[in-house]
Amino acid sequence: MATKKEEKEFEKERKAAIKARYKRMKEEGIENYLTPDQIRYNRNKRIIGMVWPFFRFLILFGLCFIILYPLIFMLSTAFRPNEQMNDPSIVWLPKSFTMDNIKQVWQVMDFSNTVLKTVRLNLIASLLQVVTCSITGYGFARFKFKGRGLLFALVILMILVPPQITTIPLYLQYAYPKPEILARLLTLNFDFSKDPSLIDSGWTMYLPAMFANGLRAGLFIFIFRQFFRGLPKELEDAAYLDGYGPWQTYIKVMVPNAKTSFLTVFLFSIVWYWNDFYVSSSFFTNSGTVALSLKNLDGTLVQQLFQGQSVSVRQIIVWLEAGCILSITPILVMYIFLQRYFIEGIERSGITGM
Amino acid sequence: MSNLENNLPDEELQAANEETAEEITAESVIEETAEDTAPDEAAEESSDEAVAVSAAPPLKQKTSKIPYEKRKALYGLGFVALWLVGTIYFFLMPLIQSLIYSFNETQVKSGKMGMKWVGFGNYVKAFRVHQEYSKQLVEVLGDTALKTPLILIFSIFIAVILNQKFKGRTFARAVFFLPVIIATGPVIDIINGNMSTGGYAGGSEQFSTLFEADLVDQLLNFLGVYNISDKLTTIINNLTSDIFNLVWNAGIQILLFLSALQGIPFSAKEAAQMEGATAWEYFWKITIPYISPMILTSLVYTVVDSFVDPGNGVMTIVLNTSASWEHGYSAAMAWAYFLIVAVVLGILVAIINKFVYYEVE
Repeated sequence: MATKKEEKEFEKERKAAIKARYKRMKEEGIENYLTPDQIRYNRNKRIIGMVWPFFRFLILFGLCFIILYPLIFMLSTAFRPNEQMNDPSIVWLPKSFTMDNIKQVWQVMDFSNTVLKTVRLNLIASLLQVVTCSITGYGFARFKFKGRGLLFALVILMILVPPQITTIPLYLQYAYPKPEILARLLTLNFDFSKDPSLIDSGWTMYLPAMFANGLRAGLFIFIFRQFFRGLPKELEDAAYLDGYGPWQTYIKVMVPNAKTSFLTVFLFSIVWYWNDFYVSSSFFTNSGTVALSLKNLDGTLVQQLFQGQSVSVRQIIVWLEAGCILSITPILVMYIFLQRYFIEGIERSGITGM
Repeated sequence: MSNLENNLPDEELQAANEETAEEITAESVIEETAEDTAPDEAAEESSDEAVAVSAAPPLKQKTSKIPYEKRKALYGLGFVALWLVGTIYFFLMPLIQSLIYSFNETQVKSGKMGMKWVGFGNYVKAFRVHQEYSKQLVEVLGDTALKTPLILIFSIFIAVILNQKFKGRTFARAVFFLPVIIATGPVIDIINGNMSTGGYAGGSEQFSTLFEADLVDQLLNFLGVYNISDKLTTIINNLTSDIFNLVWNAGIQILLFLSALQGIPFSAKEAAQMEGATAWEYFWKITIPYISPMILTSLVYTVVDSFVDPGNGVMTIVLNTSASWEHGYSAAMAWAYFLIVAVVLGILVAIINKFVYYEVE
């Protein structure tokens, strides 16, 4: 196996050789070597090769603009004093910059507490989810047992059924958990005058994640199954021959080989937990997470900043966009540092091997 | 054997113990035969050999095939057991519960749901009585039917471009996947201006005013095309003004197609070049067949994503009904919707699957 650098050099050499040969052929009269069809093909290819990069640049530039537009708009408004929103002479660059919006929104969202709570919730749930989903995916990928097809159909069903269908019964399950003692132990609620309830505690997120049933768990199990199916069978056979059991094989052989797909799933899991507001709004009664408090931001802004007066959107927009900036910054920073893994990871994560 | 055993979950231990009992007898048989065939080997090696035999399933397959297969099946169940328990408790039970709700008139009481059996009453009510439900249902179906092929074509196109080599590719890729991390959260609501207050000036609103609404008309007029049918004009107009949503909803699909494109073997590309295929021919005869399995996946993903989107008409009605404490009614709506979606998806997958090319290795 040649390394990437070597491959690049080979490519360069090959191209140079082709060019040299073509030049020689041209000097000797190209008609001797190629049919008219081939000449036309080569010419067309050359022309397209020259024109296409230009079009490609135009298309990509336009589309990147569309994607970045709201973000630029966000930056432009969030640091703009409120009064300047109605100034028609300002398009992008405000006349003065201010940090007041950010500070006020920080206070209203109680951001330092919220973000800590969200990060803790995210990390624990995502870690649990990745571990359990990978175990399940491995079970589906490499073992034959009765009813495997049926159980895997259940995984597909998990992907298809929207969480909105199961939320209300789930709420009842969490609010009145069946083995009461267990629920009391989990929430450290030993006051027997109060009913045990998991609502408002992190366990509504951790418990499903612990049993491979967290947010979008079906999709993650699917990804892991596809990945493990793509690994060569010889790896396992070698491990068995060396005296490993299936569990040890999984830990010591499969997991190190699946690093990229672990990272990909972990990142996606964090993104989805970070952005989720439907499930968390069902199980947390007070604004607990960043996504939730952003969702309720215009309500809380009116209450706390404007003392209940109704305000037009045009006025409130600067605070809303400031809130957006606050809530996407942590995940954006993570993305900028790890985007390589998002892209490369999914390319190698075996979703390819359908 | 012990190193195999200590990883089993408790409920399977007993069964496994029975298995091992069987296997021990099988092993002793092997040991005997081994000693018979190689009597000149020292006796102390037989114990080592037993370990080797117990750790080498392929060897044992010859002598005791069924127990090994069975044992593997048990391990498989062990790996899946955790998920299975969770799914029964966190997925199947609530699912069945909500199905039961949909046949009942529900009333929220402390500690449980009060229920009165109404049969298919809720379903009939949803389709017959509710003013918006059927209308929105048709609208969402039509919307998805229009949107899905657009998203698929667009994301294949972009994936092909992003798969080429050019300067700044990493940056372009990073930008195109940006919607994946932003578009699922409430930020997209603020960008789209879907917050509770109307008449809004979010990013997307601003963006669509960038383009004059009748830009397309003007362009056609400029080209000398007048008075083409109004319907066509509106469709074209919708397409151009929808490009924002298109780009923002295609992130995952682009990712999927890009990963499929990376999987096209280099030999196929070389062969096509040798035969003198143009880029156009290459796209239709090499690219499309190779990524066709991923087209199916993306299709399913796009359809599900569009149906499950809390912003679409039907989901809004379902959530609003649920918010006004009519849980039985809302469950019936959700179930009817879900069944329709499942049928549509089933038909789509069955049709598309016939055209999918699976490479047999």
